[in-house]
Amino acid sequence: MSAPCDAVRNLLPGYLEDALPAADVREFRGHLTSCDSCRDAVVSREPSLLFTRVTRDQVSPEDVARVLSGVRTGIALQEAERKLTLARSNGRRRRAALGSAAAVAVLTLLLPGTAPRPARTAATAVAPPVEAAAPGFAPAARGSSRTFPADATIYDWNPGAGVEEPRVVWIVDRSLDI
Amino acid sequence: MELVYSESRDRQEAAELSDRELALRARRGDSVAFEALVTRKTPAVVSVARRIVGDGEDARDVAQLVFLRVWEQLARYDEKFSFNTWLYRITTNLSIDFLRSSRSRERAHGATLHLVRLREEMTGAQTTHALESGELARLFEMVSSRLTGKQKAVFVLKEMEDCDTKEIAQILACGESTVRNHLFNARRILRRELARICPGLLEGRRT
Repeated sequence: MSAPCDAVRNLLPGYLEDALPAADVREFRGHLTSCDSCRDAVVSREPSLLFTRVTRDQVSPEDVARVLSGVRTGIALQEAERKLTLARSNGRRRRAALGSAAAVAVLTLLLPGTAPRPARTAATAVAPPVEAAAPGFAPAARGSSRTFPADATIYDWNPGAGVEEPRVVWIVDRSLDI
Repeated sequence: MELVYSESRDRQEAAELSDRELALRARRGDSVAFEALVTRKTPAVVSVARRIVGDGEDARDVAQLVFLRVWEQLARYDEKFSFNTWLYRITTNLSIDFLRSSRSRERAHGATLHLVRLREEMTGAQTTHALESGELARLFEMVSSRLTGKQKAVFVLKEMEDCDTKEIAQILACGESTVRNHLFNARRILRRELARICPGLLEGRRT
């Protein structure tokens, strides 16, 4: 057994205890790759070191190309998903904005004093006779057949509108306890 | 034509850059630099993943996930550290996750059959000399199935990838003493499994 072999085998305890300097570790490993006798001696004392001989798998250029292609596809999918999520979130924001606007409009109409009020017309002035009022509520603009609840308050949105211009009317039935 | 020439020149230029420089370029959205990085690092990533997950096909799947994760998280790469350390951290984490997945548990049933065949082959006259690297890799796949993901990762990085303890601690985001503990336990379990699965293998080597 040559001197280097002796020296290398003596490094084994330090190697297993992780107490060797980097240079000794390199020497130990390097020697084992080229000396079958030392490798067998070391493996007989620490069998798990058998696996230090396991070399890296040969990864073919085709395998690398497959991985690269998979990564490209993955990135493209992620990008598409990101754009889709962004578009959805924009759509939600737009719908939410429209919803808020609608809610504000309704609240404006329902809550007195929160916004400029449309001209209020006395119910009696517009409402037809009580007998025509069913418990229900008939939409406006039905000509002569239209009916209103007895206790209705009618808000005329544009009271000055002429025949050509459409009239917007909001009717609140005060008799309904809701 | 000019575009093709330009791309080819970019690839050639990218091939000459260090890992860190490629990573920094990729972070700025340079896809040529990123692809150069993938091409360069795939063998190392597949190799580490292969030793941990125990199957070549699965290792390639893990490698794809690793590079996707790298692409997503490039902004978080700290250039003060080695790119390899960061890459190995992602690789070992995803490989360990993969090991825990139901898919790898299903494969474990199949591995039992291999184990029986391997045991038949290994008993008797075969010695460590006769074991080629491919067979050793198969043997490692069998005996290391008893290791936890962390133990396996530490053993692979230490004994097969030649990483030192400090680097492994950085890769696994743990202390150096934890790395030593994992390594100690991994060696103990591997010794026991080797003695159980192929007792004849080591007897001939006693000196």
